[in-house]
Amino acid sequence: MVPKIGVYICHCGENIAGAVNIEEVRAYAEKLPGVVVARNYLFMCSDPGQELIRQDIKDGLVDRVVVAACTPRTHEPIFRKALESAGLNKYLLEMANIRDQDSWPHWHDKEGATAKAKRLIASAVAKAAYLEPLEDRYVEVTPASLVIGGGVAGMFAALDLANMGYKVYLVEKNPSIGGNMAKLDKTFPTNDCSACILTPIMVQVGTHPNIELLTYSEVESVEGTFGNFKVKVRKKQTYIDWDKCTGCGDCVNACPAKVPNEFNEGMDYRKAIYIEFPQAVPKRAVVDIAHCLNCAKRTIGTKPRVHSKTGEPILAPCEKACKTGACDRSREYNPEGEILEINVGTIIVATGYRVMDKAPFKEYSPQSPNVITAMQLERILSATGPTGGQLKRPSDGEKPQTIAFISCVGSRDKRFHTYCSKVCCMYMLKEARLIKEKYPHLNIYIFFIDVRTGGKDFEEYYNYCRDLGVKVLRGRVGAVDELPGDRLRVRAYDVDLGAPVELEADLVVLATAIEPAPGLEELGRKLGITCGNEGFFKELHTKLYPVETSVKGIYIAGCAQGPKDIPESVSQARAASSAAAVPLTAGKVVVEPLISEVNQRKCTGCGTCVQLCPYSAINLVEDKDRRRAKIDEALCAGCGACAAACPSGVITLHGFTNAQIHAQIKALAC
Amino acid sequence: MSQVQGGIGIINLSAGDPSLVNEIKELGGEELLECIQCAKCAAACPMVLAGFPFFNKRVIQAILLGLRDALLDDSSIWACQSCNRCTEVCPREVNPFEIIQAMRRVAIREFALPTLAIEGLKSLYDTGHAVYLAGAGNTRAKVGLPEKPPSTLSYPEALKEVRTILENTELAELGVIPMGESGVTDSCEV
Repeated sequence: MVPKIGVYICHCGENIAGAVNIEEVRAYAEKLPGVVVARNYLFMCSDPGQELIRQDIKDGLVDRVVVAACTPRTHEPIFRKALESAGLNKYLLEMANIRDQDSWPHWHDKEGATAKAKRLIASAVAKAAYLEPLEDRYVEVTPASLVIGGGVAGMFAALDLANMGYKVYLVEKNPSIGGNMAKLDKTFPTNDCSACILTPIMVQVGTHPNIELLTYSEVESVEGTFGNFKVKVRKKQTYIDWDKCTGCGDCVNACPAKVPNEFNEGMDYRKAIYIEFPQAVPKRAVVDIAHCLNCAKRTIGTKPRVHSKTGEPILAPCEKACKTGACDRSREYNPEGEILEINVGTIIVATGYRVMDKAPFKEYSPQSPNVITAMQLERILSATGPTGGQLKRPSDGEKPQTIAFISCVGSRDKRFHTYCSKVCCMYMLKEARLIKEKYPHLNIYIFFIDVRTGGKDFEEYYNYCRDLGVKVLRGRVGAVDELPGDRLRVRAYDVDLGAPVELEADLVVLATAIEPAPGLEELGRKLGITCGNEGFFKELHTKLYPVETSVKGIYIAGCAQGPKDIPESVSQARAASSAAAVPLTAGKVVVEPLISEVNQRKCTGCGTCVQLCPYSAINLVEDKDRRRAKIDEALCAGCGACAAACPSGVITLHGFTNAQIHAQIKALAC
Repeated sequence: MSQVQGGIGIINLSAGDPSLVNEIKELGGEELLECIQCAKCAAACPMVLAGFPFFNKRVIQAILLGLRDALLDDSSIWACQSCNRCTEVCPREVNPFEIIQAMRRVAIREFALPTLAIEGLKSLYDTGHAVYLAGAGNTRAKVGLPEKPPSTLSYPEALKEVRTILENTELAELGVIPMGESGVTDSCEV
């Protein structure tokens, strides 16, 4: 039967029509082989636009549809529904992307854009002639979810899903959940004490019957697809029996080794055996084996020597101090830890951010102990920090009298990060305010490029800080010089005075950028989701699908997606948890039938495809006298690697058959 | 103020006087801290066009940074024409004109005022008019007006009241109003 193809060209308002001569393209499309009708409309995706397509189908005019419009990434599902509602198999649709691939990049070449639109449509029409009806498949969904990252975003995502009744695995790479927020003193714009609002949430997460907390763990690999992901999680070796550990801290007190304390941003020391911070959840000790001194020659997994006189075993201080037997160095621990395999239907990635280091900023004298990052100041201000909340500068423990804040350190900077880190203006104001409220007579200067306080109640916060007497100067600081007596000279240009200014300060605080967490890209590769230019995970669509990723069933939240503050991170986490719950609630998900199929009668059983399949979806099975390839429909993701490689050409990728692709290429080449 | 205009000298913020902000607020510039340096006032200010270094926006920033000496060493604040456009356009209701007035009060406390101002004060004390043109009588007569306007010039008892008020101002306490025994002079042209 000769296909009857309808071509529907969208103006996309001015987006396409501004560069492409729609009428010329329409007249051209009408004359293409197999085309029975070609129409155009201002917004083809709107209801009247879709109605044009539905009516032609119902009238029996067309039985194949080509939509020349924007991207199928967002709009293919919309047009497929239109076909379906008019009674046509929804896979008899082909889209030509004449916006993203034509009118946008060729905006200033109207003739060229029009010519290219014709080619793209001709190519789509050629393929459409070979389209075949396909049937959707449904797969059962594993009613569980994995949340990667135990910061404020990850915790809220996990709690929401757990409260809906789903099993949640929460993977956190550090020994405790809490994330960066646990390090903060107070939080803008309400100045809630961070610990006071966060630690109760940590407790809820730690005790929720539906949440399985996997701290000190990392995702090793992810297999499977939407609805049924198989995830390997490595529980890193703690060298402590967590079932017995009570978090009493006796071993920590006994340990003589000193290691820079990550939780206090390197401003004091922790032990080699340590509990991450006093409010840790779970409150358990871990041994940092790289820094362990192996006291009493008690290397892990060796029998203790025996005292020659007393006959008692000679133990390490940590073991001796431990009352529960959790710290037992005679045990043979596997340094690789333990691999857990978990099955989940959906995954939320909330891996947070890292604060940029001060070292690259030579112009700001990073070698001075009194030049600190804002996160370091946060720890100094915090009651759980290295100074117990006393404002003391690092060099000599004196209270600084003049403090200078410098904004945009590593942000809005082509050498490091071109983006705005978004939270720095507010946290600098917050830190200045906390100090000024405690010590009104201190001089505080904040050097901004410009003050960005977009957010509910933020501008009011800014005004309040100014009223307190915090000095705000516009102009990026050019240099911080070290002067004798631990003084620092800040040199800047006050844009508002139009004059160079300098200031002697005894503490300089750098608002260093928010960076993607280390290893984000590698985690992205494991999950199959991509990072944008700036290194953060990319959402499927900025406005419409902000928590979805290009991989169905994998969602993102918090600073893993880009710099944001706590209210935004929590909002996004709760959006992600609701998106991730939809398939769990539905119980089954549609899997597009765009998968590969082997013509078993012709398969020679060479096994080439078996090796190539990234999803381990192909096996060789005994069939009568010989072995032949068989594809597991539930596992096949439709990548097409097998179809392209099959030496006998007997694997078909539905939706992208050889005939369809050849026709498409041939039409493009004309 | 050449160091601002030419950008030659460096302003030392550490030497800034943190008490200036409160002084200005007490002397009439209550809304000082509302200023976000948007520069809308400067766009409306004739002093900017005339090339004075410390116009409204810069006066405010200098006050915020406590640059008392820089402001006192410069005569800009006395060049304000009181046109009040800045106050009309300010989106933050800072009332920049009032801040310049407040800064003038600060300056007077330091006796940093121009001689012209003293002449004006003398005229005010002598005649009840800051600007009094003795030769105006003829002109007034020509157009059918009484030679002397119906003000302190016509009513000596009113002038007495004005003087009493002046004698009770901080200006008098500072001794910057010349209060001669000469009585109403014939002319005080300024």
